[in-house]
Amino acid sequence: MAHDWQPDFEQLVDEHQSMVFSLAWRMTGDRGLAEEIAQDVFLELDRNLGKIETAAHACFWLRRVAMNRSADALRRRRVRGMDLWVEMEDVHGVPAENRASPLSARLEQLLATLPEAQRAALVLRYQEDLTPEEIAATLKAPLATVKSHLQRGLKLLRAKAQNHLKEYVRAKEYLEGV
Amino acid sequence: MEDFEDELRQALERRPAPPGLKRRLMEKRRAQRTHRPVVLWQRLAASIVLAAVVGGGVVWRNVEERRKGEAARQQVLTALRITSRALNQMNAKLAAHGRAAQE
Repeated sequence: MAHDWQPDFEQLVDEHQSMVFSLAWRMTGDRGLAEEIAQDVFLELDRNLGKIETAAHACFWLRRVAMNRSADALRRRRVRGMDLWVEMEDVHGVPAENRASPLSARLEQLLATLPEAQRAALVLRYQEDLTPEEIAATLKAPLATVKSHLQRGLKLLRAKAQNHLKEYVRAKEYLEGV
Repeated sequence: MEDFEDELRQALERRPAPPGLKRRLMEKRRAQRTHRPVVLWQRLAASIVLAAVVGGGVVWRNVEERRKGEAARQQVLTALRITSRALNQMNAKLAAHGRAAQE
């Protein structure tokens, strides 16, 4: 089928670099590695540009390849026996103006402690605003599995956030008492 | 629950890509594009050499088998020629012996 849309590589990079980088960073927790993954994803897009049919297809393709490459990177690190997750903010020093709130920053860190499949589902749901059906298509996973990951991941993250808040309040009360 | 989801949505907003990512990416892309024809030529040359070596090996083996076959055929023919000559001699002797007995 003929299609009129002509992909412009530079424009695609401009439009989607933030998405690809954020997905890779949230999946791997390593800013340097996320940049490498983002570059690899775009170079692969360059090689497959002829197969891309529409702007929406490009976006879907980039999301899927970014998630796959991140999963590959995590697997390689696990094989090497390295502990991938580092404190994102401490190591890579995100500027203060980029942080929404202390709770948001903490939520991002807590997300990093979730199992990979749950993290992937939550990142695609809440960063990319995808529906469970779209997440299933992106991850090539059954819809029921995605729904289960979303539900369990959200529940676990909420429980961890509540614990964190309790500790925060206790510490504050203690400091005020002193 | 919705408040928590809103907070999570806010926490997971897309982060801006590192400055210079696009520049570094375009440099890599340019480098790969100039490198690609060289790699293609190298692969093509390696394939031709490999095909020539394999093809040469097959041809050499065929020629060698044919040469051995021809040598074996010549040996068989020589053996047959020797046998034929011996039989002829034996036949001549028997014929001479028969004639002497009749006389």
